[in-house]
Amino acid sequence: MSRRAVRAAGRAGASGRPFALAALLVVQTLCAVFFAADVAADLSWNGLSLHAGFEAVVALALAVGVALGAVEMRRTLERSRRADAAAQAASGAFAALMEERFEAWGLTPAEAEVALFALKGLDVAEIAAVRGAAAGTVRAQLAKVYAKAGVSGRGQLVSSFIEALLDGPLPGARRAAGRPEAAG
Amino acid sequence: MAGAQTDEAAEAVRGPAWDPVVRLTHWGIAAAVLLNGLLTEGGEAAHVWIGWAAFALLALRVVWGFAGPEEARFSAFPPSLSAARGHVSDVLAGRRRTHRSHDPLGALMTYALWSVLAVVVATGIAMEGGPFPEPGEAASVAFVSAATADEVGEEADDDHDEAGEGEEDEALEEVHEAAANLLLILAALHVAGVALESRRFGVNLVGPMIDGRRRGP
Repeated sequence: MSRRAVRAAGRAGASGRPFALAALLVVQTLCAVFFAADVAADLSWNGLSLHAGFEAVVALALAVGVALGAVEMRRTLERSRRADAAAQAASGAFAALMEERFEAWGLTPAEAEVALFALKGLDVAEIAAVRGAAAGTVRAQLAKVYAKAGVSGRGQLVSSFIEALLDGPLPGARRAAGRPEAAG
Repeated sequence: MAGAQTDEAAEAVRGPAWDPVVRLTHWGIAAAVLLNGLLTEGGEAAHVWIGWAAFALLALRVVWGFAGPEEARFSAFPPSLSAARGHVSDVLAGRRRTHRSHDPLGALMTYALWSVLAVVVATGIAMEGGPFPEPGEAASVAFVSAATADEVGEEADDDHDEAGEGEEDEALEEVHEAAANLLLILAALHVAGVALESRRFGVNLVGPMIDGRRRGP
């Protein structure tokens, strides 16, 4: 389940919402053009009447709707691109941090791989299946990883990374960290 | 210099990741051109409706050329003969330069396709009028089955002849057909150009137009 979750998270960047919006924009444009053509034909056959005048206003509103929809669509696209870029930067930063730590701890390549899977949330049986190794081997490798990292287990291993990533840029985190000190 | 460019090149060589509006209008217009150019008959209701739909898609693409994201905007691919010449010499010399939107030759092709399509649409509308049949005489034209469309179409033409609009209509029809044929030829050249550039860069340039995702080299 966790492996599927990791893969799904990777795919989430290319979401379907902009596409649905774009399809709606296309339908709106088709309607606006056909409606405007109908109004133009009405006007040319019968001249200006209350009916044709009202239809002309509707056609104009449709056209304005298309233009505003296009602007809104651009905003949505830019927002999702910014989010993708931020996610990419964050995952890049996390990967760099991980590599740096694994090296500092002196993990062997096999241990580094096991540690990576552990960080991704795979349990011992899953890691063993992915690596084609016995569960006992994986358990021993994990124990070495925890020892070298100076943590008690997977939970502490994960929090050590989260702590490093949250360090600094979040003012809310600093305020929360300061509170117990003030109380004590 | 080459070193500084490598990263950017690796990113841009893959070509732009086209947004959904560009993709939908592109394939919609492609389908409309193929359908009306090869399948439907002039004067048929389907032909007229598909033509109007192509007009709507072209209009949306033009709006998107001002309102869209950077690589979809006209300012990202200005029509420039000198840039196109530069691109041709790049191709001949085997140089690979990066472009954030269409390459200069592709940009010229894009504008050529759009203008010829505009001519086809304008002459089509001038001949047939709106997508909905006139209440009087032409009502029959739009709602006949495909089998009898030709016959009725000719009758309608005769009516116009009597009204003294024959010459004008004939001229319009000739321009319409010539421009439509030119459009099909340009479309074939466009496909050939995409195939050539895909080969040259070793990158699938069609994929990003289908699902909006870049392909790695």
